[in-house]
Amino acid sequence: MSWLEEFEQELQARRIRPDARDRLVAEFADHIACEQGTGMGGELTRLGVAREIAGQYADELGSDDARRGALAVFAALALAAVALAASQLSLGQLSRYPGFDHGFSVALSLPAIVAILVGPQIALVAGTLAAWRALRRRRVAVLPAAEIALVRARARVALAAGLVTTTGLLLYTVNFIGVLPAWWLALSGTLAAGATAALVAARGALVRSSATVVASAGPAGDLFDDIPALRWLRGRPLALCVGGALLSGVVVTIAEWHAERSLAEGLQRGVFEALALSIGFAALGRLIGARR
Amino acid sequence: MRAEALKGHLDGLILATLADGPAHGYAIAHALRERSAGAFDLPEGTLYPALHRLERAGLVASEWSTQAGRRRRTYQLTRSGGSALNERRSEWRLFATAVEAVLA
Repeated sequence: MSWLEEFEQELQARRIRPDARDRLVAEFADHIACEQGTGMGGELTRLGVAREIAGQYADELGSDDARRGALAVFAALALAAVALAASQLSLGQLSRYPGFDHGFSVALSLPAIVAILVGPQIALVAGTLAAWRALRRRRVAVLPAAEIALVRARARVALAAGLVTTTGLLLYTVNFIGVLPAWWLALSGTLAAGATAALVAARGALVRSSATVVASAGPAGDLFDDIPALRWLRGRPLALCVGGALLSGVVVTIAEWHAERSLAEGLQRGVFEALALSIGFAALGRLIGARR
Repeated sequence: MRAEALKGHLDGLILATLADGPAHGYAIAHALRERSAGAFDLPEGTLYPALHRLERAGLVASEWSTQAGRRRRTYQLTRSGGSALNERRSEWRLFATAVEAVLA
């Protein structure tokens, strides 16, 4: 087997995408031909060990792709956030808002409202953590495989939550067909569809970024590496969860109390928020590196 | 000089080589060896991952051409690459001056 064939096999083993693989192989073929042209054909060992070079390339490409995938997801989530905000703010332009449970069917409105309330928060936390890690480690050529897995996991969670949100917004819009004006239905539906398309496109980047096999050693790091101010909570997941739930519950209670001019409504939303955060932490905390 | 000693400097050396004009991988390897009087005799295969990395970072650009019936990728410095090279040169001068002051 020639050096070039061995190299190509190693690239395939690391699942380097075909365009990058073909390009590298063509460049090495040209390099070898140049050497043979200068009478140095017998010194192919100058190229180095095929497995090591393919491995180095895969580790660097995988690191770079993971960062790009995380940032692509974050950008799509930002678009989804704008779509959601525009849709909800435009409700204020209506002369009369009937309330979320006065649409076509409660079977549509309930899952829609849960998706719109919970989805963005998970997307915000996981997406921000993924993007922050990608930015924080942008100058590191090779990230440990475990760290890449963490960045990919955060981006996947954020993307799924984003899609839940935009699906919820679509349901929310459909639920008001025949109830709210056509202009709002068209605006909200278009925004939801556009945001969903952006997220689906980001999914493509994420899938592409997940193909390369990275084998570099090292720790994944966790939430506390990303936010050093929280390091005192490392190894104390219960305290982190309770503290986060209390904080978010109080903030939401005060905000809703102010917005709805009703302490009872504020407390209801605050308790829901604290419960949702606790459940989210229990279900997704390990996946996104918030607990071991 | 061992390849290990070049780690961390390879990107800057490639950028400096490309400052003289566009070149393909073999020509870059050859120029590195020539300009260092044979001291930089690294495994040449490591050049290509470095070139791809620099291109992803926007420091070099590349395009295909055909040479004697073979496809050849030619690289050239971008504006960002030129700035990065100047930065690396300044850093290196500071470092070299400091090391010289201590060792001399």
